[in-house]
Amino acid sequence: MSVSDIKTGFSYKKLIVPAVLGLILVLLATLPVYTPSYTVVLMITILMYIILTVSWALFSGPTGYVSLAPSAFFGVGMYTAAILGKELHLAGMVIAGGLFSFVLALIIGAITLRLRGIYFAMFTFGLVVLIQQILLWWEITFTHTRGRFVIPVDNTTIYYIMLAIFVTLTLTVIFIRRSKYGLALQSIGQDEEAAAHSGVNVTLVKVFTFAISALFMGAVGAIVATRWTYIDPYIAFNPTFSFFPVLMSIFGGMGQLYGPYLGAAIFAYLEELLITNFEYYYMLIFGIIMVITIVFLPSGIVGLIQKWRMLKWGKGGLAKDDANT
Amino acid sequence: MLVTILDVLLAGLLLGGIYALIAMGLSLQYGVARVFNVAHGEFIMIGAMVTWTFYTIVGINPLLSAVISGPVIFVIGFFLYHTLFRYLRTKSITHAAFESNSMLAAFGLLFIIQNIALIIPRWGSEIRGYTYLASPVNIGGAIFAANRLVTLLVAVVIGLAFYLFLMRTRMGKAIRAAAQDAITARLMGININLVLALCFGLGALMAGLAGVLISMCYPIHATMGLEYTIIAIIVIVLGGLGNIPGSFLGGFILGLVGSVVTYFEPGLALVAYYLIFMLLLILRPAGIIGK
Amino acid sequence: MKKFTIPLVILLICSLLVIGCTTKTTTPATSTSGTASPTSVKTKDKILIGMSRSLSGPLAQIGDSAFRPIYETLIPEWNAGGGIYVAEYGKKLPIELKIYDDKSDTGTMVKNLEKLILDDKVDFIFPPVGTAMIFAAAPIANKYNKLLLTAEGGATQLKDALPGMPYVFINLSFSDWYEVPVLGQLLQSKGAKTAYVIYIEDLHGIEYSGVAGRELPKYGVEILKAKSVPPDIKDLSTILKDAQASGADAFLAFAYPDQVMLATKQAMELGYNPKAFLGGPGVNFGFYHTTFKDAVNGVLGWTVASPKQSPELKAMFDKLYAGKPEELQDYWGHPCYYAAMEVFKQAVEKAGTLDNTKIRDVIATSHFQTVLGDVYYTGQLLDKESHPGEVGQWQNGVYEVVGGKKPTAEFIYPKPAWPK
Repeated sequence: MSVSDIKTGFSYKKLIVPAVLGLILVLLATLPVYTPSYTVVLMITILMYIILTVSWALFSGPTGYVSLAPSAFFGVGMYTAAILGKELHLAGMVIAGGLFSFVLALIIGAITLRLRGIYFAMFTFGLVVLIQQILLWWEITFTHTRGRFVIPVDNTTIYYIMLAIFVTLTLTVIFIRRSKYGLALQSIGQDEEAAAHSGVNVTLVKVFTFAISALFMGAVGAIVATRWTYIDPYIAFNPTFSFFPVLMSIFGGMGQLYGPYLGAAIFAYLEELLITNFEYYYMLIFGIIMVITIVFLPSGIVGLIQKWRMLKWGKGGLAKDDANT
Repeated sequence: MLVTILDVLLAGLLLGGIYALIAMGLSLQYGVARVFNVAHGEFIMIGAMVTWTFYTIVGINPLLSAVISGPVIFVIGFFLYHTLFRYLRTKSITHAAFESNSMLAAFGLLFIIQNIALIIPRWGSEIRGYTYLASPVNIGGAIFAANRLVTLLVAVVIGLAFYLFLMRTRMGKAIRAAAQDAITARLMGININLVLALCFGLGALMAGLAGVLISMCYPIHATMGLEYTIIAIIVIVLGGLGNIPGSFLGGFILGLVGSVVTYFEPGLALVAYYLIFMLLLILRPAGIIGK
Repeated sequence: MKKFTIPLVILLICSLLVIGCTTKTTTPATSTSGTASPTSVKTKDKILIGMSRSLSGPLAQIGDSAFRPIYETLIPEWNAGGGIYVAEYGKKLPIELKIYDDKSDTGTMVKNLEKLILDDKVDFIFPPVGTAMIFAAAPIANKYNKLLLTAEGGATQLKDALPGMPYVFINLSFSDWYEVPVLGQLLQSKGAKTAYVIYIEDLHGIEYSGVAGRELPKYGVEILKAKSVPPDIKDLSTILKDAQASGADAFLAFAYPDQVMLATKQAMELGYNPKAFLGGPGVNFGFYHTTFKDAVNGVLGWTVASPKQSPELKAMFDKLYAGKPEELQDYWGHPCYYAAMEVFKQAVEKAGTLDNTKIRDVIATSHFQTVLGDVYYTGQLLDKESHPGEVGQWQNGVYEVVGGKKPTAEFIYPKPAWPK
């Protein structure tokens, strides 16, 4: 603390965060130029996991409603790409994927967000499989095909679109957190009845946030479909895919904004390492890591970092923002 | 026409027997021990694969080998609760936190158990099967497989035996007390940790036994677990979460639904299951038979 | 605000590490086909072959029983002899395999393939597991000009897409290439007039039943009913009873091992004994016999070869199966994949280079001597004239070829009753 701080209340330290963020953004944006092509492929996968995890945490974090619907919205986005990919311009297709998921989420949210905890989780899980089975039966019975092809797109374009979705999502997350809207979300998570009594339109806030998180999942689904090029109901609506955002958020830690980012990035990279080096034991190791994380790291990596900071510098303690995501 | 109805109904009951057994197991684990055990199906798989191994390699008949494999699976379940889930319980601040943590830990267990099974020599990922009691039995003009009838019989016997156990024995009363209110039960002097571990173990036992029965009737493989877990989840919602007799009955109801729908349009059987599941969640979360 | 700095720095460091760790070479624009430039000095000490296989997840059981035994047998065998002779380098080069698990997930498979091609810079790629994966892998192979000889999988839909994908070659036989027409001939020869079809709700099932619908009537067989079943069906009894009531001469199950085994089991249990009983993938595997023992006699399935057809085939089957459990045997897929591997080796030798494009041209235009005899490709499909068999039948515990170019036994019709 310098004299100038006390006088003007301005500190260069405040500039560090935006500067670092900006640097990261520049690095990411120019990635395809200076790295080998496979790094772009890897980053696409990492970004996909980050987008899914952060959009999941956007809703499920503050409100506490564990949603297992990510696969449903992701799948809607994929099928949008498959069906409308040829008609629409690429950006339009991505936005369409997001919009269809948005609408679906509004409907689902309106119906189910009065269910408590585990019921909501089970319902959203059932939704994914329901859509999968109906679509399967529909394809067999009416279109006599199984699965669809998606127009392929080159990796660099996919990367930039993912980056755009990533940035938009991050801006949305930051904005929501800072605004009164975010405050309302948190209050719902802490005590729904009290929030309702203090004038928050609980249903509207819940449903709308759920729909926003679905929008990003749908958008990313649409662009990822162009990488996989062949999708069918089992591939697009895969219920186990819904568990990954949950796991990554917990792994990263829900106490801080950056937790889901960290969790998803580390997980995705870990998966890459395990698959390429321990191909026969990869899933087994994955399971072991999961159990260890749940048992010994319940507040995730964020919790670990905070403990470390406490130990080293006596800083931290119960941070104000602990209840936030 | 009458024979067809009898056919469909009995087929539903035969299917329902297995459903009832696995649902009862999961209901014990979730309803009492409060662990949403998504790895339930893996215990079914273990029961099935072990039975297959005993039958094809050692030559012991399935019902007999269950006498060995059953208790072993029970011990594994008991031990898992006593170590992993009990530890999680002490570490979890809120009830909701424990539920979600234990569900995720169970998910990790799923990966571990399934992948160990894939590595075990002679198990691996291939489909296995054997024939046991595969002869036709005629009931009023409708024909059924002997092994399926035995399955139904065993499931009903286990269900009844367990019901009596719950109602008539002291341990059974302790379990019912723990299901209603674990804290008060402990205050009443019940060794709650023992009871909960017992329930988890019993749930695993039922899964294992279901696995033995399934291996008699269907082809099996190391990745068969998850689909049975899902059916168990649907049934316990149908019967009402925490309602053990309810989940037993619910299994038969779902089996009947499955059989009827399959008769008309096999491709829609799962759709029917999930629709019912989701409708119940919205309209009547306490289940059809719930209190 | 302050509490952001440390984690952000960590994030930055992590991302730099990611970039750093994955940067293998900094030279830009190495040619994407992975060939050495013609003017540089040729030094190479091995051939790197990459594959994304489903070592876990639901597809693992297909991959492990199908292509895996083949490459696990042949690659070590070739390496024991020094490897494959490549004229470009003037010597034999041993093969190193790089395998990644895609956990039966298409997205992971796509990423793995690109890693193998772009990052590990493999010389060749071998196929992933199953038809759906092949669909997704084919465009990638073509994008990077990499040869793709397929293994487990094949479908008419893929066949139709081949002209736009010159690097893909399909090796497994399938419905209209040329199994179902041969089945029709067999049924006609014994006077079968009607059939009851069940098919799995999958590309495989749709295709086979569609082809059956077109072909079988040409041989005088009327399809009374075609019912689709979902992959997770647990009880076929009502359908089997319906088939029994229909009195159809033949019962055809165009489905996968799970359903074929179930249908067999339940047909036995219900005492349903049609004159002809055919099952899709499943019947052609040793584990079918291991599971059902004598009950399999008379059951029809798809096949390509039998050890009785030639000394080369017998030698191959002995090499693959001797001393191993019966369950691993596969008379439909294994001969095809084995032949494809032989084609690969011979094509590399003939082209004298590791250039995928040149090898691709060699494969498309040459004839090869393999276990199946003379093998060549028509329109990138392993020509049906190279198939020594199409339809098989279990007789006395042996899976004979009863339909196709070189039958090893007479087709038994009607099927003997299930044993008690």
